[in-house]
Parts: sequence; structure tokens; C-alpha cells
Amino acid sequence: MSNQKKRNFQIEAFKHRVVVDPKYAEKTWSVLEHAIHEIYNHNASGLSFEELYRNAYNMVLHKFGEKLYSGLVTTMTAHLKEISKSIEAAQGGLFLEELNRKWNDHNKALQMIRDILMYMDRTYIPNAHKTPVHELGLNLWRDNVIHSSKIQSRLLSMLLELVHKERTGEVIDRGLMRNIIKMLMDLGSSVYQEDFEKPFLEVSAEFYMGESQKFIECCDCGDYLKKAEIRLNEEIERVTHYLDVKSEVKITNVVEKEMIASHMMRLVHMENSGLVNMLLDDKYEDLGRMYNLFRRVPNGLSTIRDVMTSHLREIGKQLVTDAEKLKDPVEFVQRLLDEKDKYDNIISQAFCNDKMFQNALNSSFEYFINLNNRSPEFISLFVDDKLRKGLKGVGEEEVEIILDKVMMLFRYLQEKDVFEKYYKQHLAKRLLSGKTVSDEAERSLIVKLKTECGYQFTSKLEGMFTDMKTSQDTMQGFYASHLELTDGPTLVVQVLTTGSWPTQPSITCNLPAEMSALCEKFRSYYLGTHTGRRLSWQTNMGTADIKATFGKGQKHELNVSTYQMCVLMLFNNADRLSYKEIEQATGIPTSDLKRCLQSMACVKGKNVLRKEPMSKDIGEEDALFVNDKFTSKFYKVKIGTVVAQKETEPEKLETRQRVEEDRKPQIEAAIVRIMKSRRVLDHNNIIAEVTKQLQSRFLANPTEIKKRIESLIERDFLERDNNDRKLYRYLA
Amino acid sequence: MPPRASKRKSVPPNSSSVTSSDGRSVSNKAKTKGMEKVDRLFNTYANSSLGMIDPEGIEALCADLGVDYTDVRILMLAWKLKSEKQGYFTREEWQTGLKELGVDSLSKLKKALPELEKEVEKPSNYEGFYIYAFRYCLTEEKQKSVDIESICELLNLVLGVQFRPQVDSLVEYLKVQNDYKVINADQWINFLRFCKEISFPDLGNYDANQAWPLILDNFVEWMREKQS
Repeated sequence: MSNQKKRNFQIEAFKHRVVVDPKYAEKTWSVLEHAIHEIYNHNASGLSFEELYRNAYNMVLHKFGEKLYSGLVTTMTAHLKEISKSIEAAQGGLFLEELNRKWNDHNKALQMIRDILMYMDRTYIPNAHKTPVHELGLNLWRDNVIHSSKIQSRLLSMLLELVHKERTGEVIDRGLMRNIIKMLMDLGSSVYQEDFEKPFLEVSAEFYMGESQKFIECCDCGDYLKKAEIRLNEEIERVTHYLDVKSEVKITNVVEKEMIASHMMRLVHMENSGLVNMLLDDKYEDLGRMYNLFRRVPNGLSTIRDVMTSHLREIGKQLVTDAEKLKDPVEFVQRLLDEKDKYDNIISQAFCNDKMFQNALNSSFEYFINLNNRSPEFISLFVDDKLRKGLKGVGEEEVEIILDKVMMLFRYLQEKDVFEKYYKQHLAKRLLSGKTVSDEAERSLIVKLKTECGYQFTSKLEGMFTDMKTSQDTMQGFYASHLELTDGPTLVVQVLTTGSWPTQPSITCNLPAEMSALCEKFRSYYLGTHTGRRLSWQTNMGTADIKATFGKGQKHELNVSTYQMCVLMLFNNADRLSYKEIEQATGIPTSDLKRCLQSMACVKGKNVLRKEPMSKDIGEEDALFVNDKFTSKFYKVKIGTVVAQKETEPEKLETRQRVEEDRKPQIEAAIVRIMKSRRVLDHNNIIAEVTKQLQSRFLANPTEIKKRIESLIERDFLERDNNDRKLYRYLA
Repeated sequence: MPPRASKRKSVPPNSSSVTSSDGRSVSNKAKTKGMEKVDRLFNTYANSSLGMIDPEGIEALCADLGVDYTDVRILMLAWKLKSEKQGYFTREEWQTGLKELGVDSLSKLKKALPELEKEVEKPSNYEGFYIYAFRYCLTEEKQKSVDIESICELLNLVLGVQFRPQVDSLVEYLKVQNDYKVINADQWINFLRFCKEISFPDLGNYDANQAWPLILDNFVEWMREKQS
């Protein structure tokens, strides 16, 4: 209704009554149809975009969207069928090229068509819930070209053939492949998967199954792994070049399964080239490759780990039970350290410092080190050797490294209390003979032991050092207050606190008169300043330096043990002494005396005494003389035998017995501690808890624990429950 | 103490009181003829200076009862009397015990023995008797264990009838092993449990992980070695 009111000029919209010409739609459509043809025939340049757009627009506006759409479908389909035929007609290798070209054409066409029909795309299509033009174009392509019976299978087999060719070493047109594959991907992930990826994976699996079979028959482990690695990398590269990135993990799974997982055991156990050989020969590269490949498959790494562990345990066991190697304790420990170094290197260089491998290494070492119950003793002897001479001239940092390595072995020991006992013995000998290379090194090791085991472990050891220092001060004080003695023999006394030092039975021998007088003076001096203490001379642990003049006037200074000194001093008053006379005069116990005489009469270069008869052993009927013909190129001759040595069998048994005895109160203390807090506890749990508590010192034997429990029951610390015999109760 | 119902006609009480040498004075009013008889029987065997029946006296008692000194029934009697010290019966133990048995003469005591046996063998009493047997052997003050010899005899005596095969093996083992020279109360009580619970001689249900005393673990191991 127009406005009647008078106004200024009003510009109205041009209301042009459109005549709905029934033929209008037909005419318009045929224009568009023609345009589509032209587009497909590469004649698009002659078309007016604006006109075509307007035509399409009008059709939709006048409610002919349906016609337009269905027309589009029909036309496009027809074209695609044509295209399909031409592709089918292509021969051999040209097939893919033709397909590719036609696809590009179609895409271009589709683009133009879509632009022309954009209005319909935005209005009619959403309203009518139809497929948008671009997508429609793809679907039609898919249905009429790709899935056409003559093309579908041919396409797939061509693609697979090209892949196979490339796998066998030929060069293929990767660009073409990429385009074709991209086309499939553009058509939808299900198209890509169904029409290519799935068959591709199947075929690849077959291929690699065959290939791996072939290789495994003719290659050794290292070579095989190299080949597998190459193939794996190839496939990854293939994906980056012309496949969907999501295919990477799928194809690598195939390769991993066929080439590695299926043959894992055979590879690892391959004779002469398998894992064990690689380990023995330090083949870092091969091992690293194996690690990297195997980590991709289930149980791969655990397989390597298990084989390594059992191998390690085997060689470790051989090492610790080989009688030959056990003859030299220092050598033995060195070999253990070397073995550990070797595997540390393997794990860091080839196994990426994998923690689980480290754990396997540690548990293996722990296993076999404890197979030999002399390990604690030997490790202590090793340390002794190092601290005595091995570390001479070695820089501080290197010392720390070696001590840390020793600590690492120490950690593996189950019977740490046995180590402690030997360490104490050896330390005592070192301290008393003044034979330690570096005080700092000694202290450093004590600190490390303290950090590892706590204060109790090292308090006595530290006590030993303190005693040495205190003794020095005492000696100074002694000589300062006895200036008249400076001309006589020099006495050096080390006062050892009982309890800190390893216990020795003290049998005092008869000292030469000069010495015993001096010792008495010291005793009274000491007891003067320390009332309430008791001193007992440990004549089996001392040393002496004496000057001797022999038959031809040759003078030597002899460094001997206290016992040896006692024996030699006797010869100041006699030329000939029988064994029995010496024994009586000195009061030295028989076995010690024999050893002492042997070291002075039967050892070349140290034979300051002569024996009749000249046999190697000391017999009780023997007679001894000073060896006037004694010679040595050194002025100072060392004869004493206070060096720490591997124990003899009886000594070993004795030490072990003492260790066992020491363990009993520790076990009982643990039981009482546990029961005091728990009040009531059953048998198995007590055993478990006690074992855990004592673990840092030694591995408690369940039978021994049971014995201690029974002893505690007898002494009314614990009782059994009346109803449940497995339960123990703490008696306050 | 109420007067005891006596089977005989009660005799009017004496006016004198009797003091035994352990210093106790027995009131006349409480005395019945039965009690008097028990007491007199006591005096027959008692060592007058000690005021108790001593080993000699017990031996004599056994002879009169027609029972061997080492017979288990004497041990049972001791148990019944709650006798504290091995080889001795005090007057009070005697009196209380015989009263419990309901006897006041030797012949009655003799007749009561089979019943006593049955009483001991009752499950509710047996363990108590068994433990008593051990404690009875602890003759010294603060003694806690009994030597192997005596244990073997005691096992025979106490368990021999019911568990003959176990006792025989156990005794054999105890004699050959060196780990233990004495047996303590805990081990003793477990011997009985062992006999009661463990099937013999297969030992099938013996589990060394249970809290059996070590001596039994060793015994079982020894048995198994013998059997293989």
C-alpha cells in the first residue's frame, strides 16, 4: 500500500513484477548446464562469472533450487562417468597419471562450479539439508570414479605395486604417489583406510614376514638388526613423503612385529652373534641398536634384561667360585670392579642409562658376590692393599673414585658385619705398623662407611684413630718427663683402648732386660696419669728396629717384630741356642715362635740366623746360630711379618665363629625391640621384621632367630600364647 | 572348718591339742575320726624330724601299695596331692589330697588308684598333669630345665602308654642329638602338642614354618632322613 501523504521525493524500490515464466527455469538451467560442460571441457575462459552467478542466484530465488541441484548432480555425474572411461582406457603406468590429471581437473572445475553456485550453497542447500557443492563433488568423484568397478581394484594394485617396487630398491614417482594418496585422504578417512591403508598394511605384513625369514636364515644378529633398522627407517620416511601421517605408527607396528617381535628370541640367543656375544665383546653400537629396536616391541627390553641378568649371574658365579682366581684376593676384587665397570659402560653407552637395567646389574652383583662367603674378607684386603701402597702417588680425585667403587661393592654384601670385623683387623695392622699411604684416604673411607651404615659401624674405627693420636701425645709427655732416657733405646708405645681394637689373646713374652725396664717406667708413668686403668702389653703386635753387626763387620738395621727382637737379643749372650732354650727364654707361644724363627732362618735375603739342620721347617730339636755370613745390599732390612694376609682355614673359622657369636645378641635385641612395641606378634611376622631390621648388617638366618626366640622364652622375656601357639607375647 | 561327715561314728573329741613339729596346731573340734586316721597314716610314713614324708617314706608307701617307686601312679598321686617338692609330701598336702580322693586308709588308697588314673586321663586334666610332671622335676631353686636323661624317662612314664611310637622315636632322637643338653618348659609342653596334633609316623601335617620349637624341627628332619 503506497503512502498517500505528500512527501518529498521518495525513491522506491524498483518493483519489477517478475513474470514467472515457466520456461524461465529451463532456460536458466540450460545456460548453467552449458557452463558446466564448458568448464569440464577446459573452456571456462569464455564464460562470464557474473552472469552465471546471477543465473544461479535467480533460480534459487525463484524457488528452483531443487532443479538446479538435481541438475548439477546429473550433469556432474555424467561428466564423471566420461572421465572414468578415459581413465580406464589408460595403459599401464599412465593409469595413475591420467587419474591424477583428471582429479586435478575435477578439482578446478569443482571450484569454479562452487563459486558460481555459491548462493545455492549458502541458502537452498542448508535449508533442504542437501550435501554442499564441494562435498558433493568429492562424493560423486568417489562413487563414479574411484569406486567404479574397473578402477577401484586397479588403482589399489597399482599403488601397492609401486610401494613394492620402492621396497625392492627401484625409484618411483613419489610426487604422483603423494597426489593420489592425498586424493584418497581428501575423499574421506574411511576411503583412505578402506581403499588403501588396510590392504597396504596387510601386504606389508606379508612382505616383511618373508623378508625377515630370509634374513634370519642368512644373517648374524648384528647384521639382521642393521637391516631391520634400515627397513624401519625406510617406512617412516615413506610415510613422511607420501602417506597420511597417521599411518606411521601402524606401519611401524607391522615392521616391528614381523621383523623384531616374531624373531626376538632367536636373535637374542643366536649362537656366536647373539646378545651374550655382544656383551662379551663390548659391541656398543650393536647393543644400542638392539635396545632401540627392542624397546618398540612388547617384552623386548625385558627379554634383553633377562638374558643379560642370567649371563651376568653365570659369569659372576664362575668368578667367585674359581679357585684359581681366589688365590689372590686383591686380584679377585679388581676383577669384580672391572666387570662392574664394563657393564656400567654398556648400560650408559648402549642402553641409555636405563634404570631397570641398572637394577638388574645391581641385583646380579648382589647375587653372586654373596655366593662366596669370603667376599667380605677379600674386599677388606683389597682396601688394605690400596691404602697400604696401591694409592701411593694417586691424586685425591682418583682416590675418591676408587674408594667409591669399593663402597659400591660393599653395598652388595649381605654380611656387612663380617666385613667390619676384617676391616678392623686390617686397619689395626695398618695403623700399628704405620703403613698407611694416606691418612686422608683412611678417614675418607670411614666417612663413607658411616654414611652408609650409621654411627655405630664406625665409632670403634674412629676410636682406633683417636688412640693413635693420643698415644703420640702420651709418648711426648713420657719423654719430656724422663729426659734421662733419651740416650737409651727409643720406646714407642701405642695405648689401645680395649673394645675399639680387634681382640687378641694377650700372652706376654719375656722381653729383653733393657726393654722390660723401659716398659715398666712407661707403665708407671702412664698409670700415674691415668689411675684406675689397666695396661697389658701386646707383644704379638709390636715391631722393633735393631742395629746388628755380623761376622765380617757388616752392619745392618733390622726391622723386626717384637717376638723376633726377643729372639735376636738372646744372641747377644750366646752363640748357639737350641729351639727349646729360645722357647723357654722368650716364652713365645709355639706356633708364633716357629713362624718367627722361620722368617729369620729360612727366607733368602732375610736369613740373619742359621739353622741346623738346614731344613725348611723348624723342628723342636733344631739349633740356631747367628748367620755371620749374612749379606744384603740394603742397609735396612725388613724382616717383620705384620702384613695383613688372607686368613688360613682355622683362622677363618675362628673369625666366623666370633661373627656368629656377635650376631646372637643383635638378633635378640631386635626381637625384644620389636616385641616391646608390638606386644603380640605371630611367628612369621617376627621373622620378617627381625630380618628387615638387621638387613643392613647381615642376613639373619630364620633358624637362628627361632633359637633366640626360644632362648628369650626360657628367660621369661616372651611367652607363647596359650591358645594360638604361633603367637608370641611380650612379658613386661 | 566344718566337721567332716565321717563314715564311722564320731568319737567325742579329745581335750588335748596336738601340735606337729611344723608348728601347726590342729584344733580338736575340727578333728574327726577320719581326719585322725589320715593323720595317723601320714605319721606312719613321715620323717618325724622333718615333719614330712620323705623319699624313704614314699618308698615305703609304694611298697605297701604294691606299686613300684617309679610307677606313674605315684606321680599321679603327687599331682593329686599338689605336691610341691619332688620326693616329699607335707602334712597339708597329704591331708588335702587324701580328702579329695575320699580315702583315709591304705587299702582305700590302693583301691582309689585306678580311679585316679582315669581322672588324670580326662582331657581336661591331662595337660595339667603333663605340665605338672615337668615342674615336679625342677628340684633346684631357679631351675628351669631338666636334663635329657630324666626327660626321656619322664616321657616314657607320662606319654608312653598313649603315644608309644612317638615316645620311642623321640627318646631315640633325644639321646643321639647334641644340640640340647636340657629341655625347658616350652619345649616340654610342645612335645605333648606334637603327639596330639601331628600324624605319626608320616609327619605329613608338620609344617616347619609354624612356630614349633627348633628341637622338634630337628627331630622331624631326623625322622624324615631315617625314613628315606
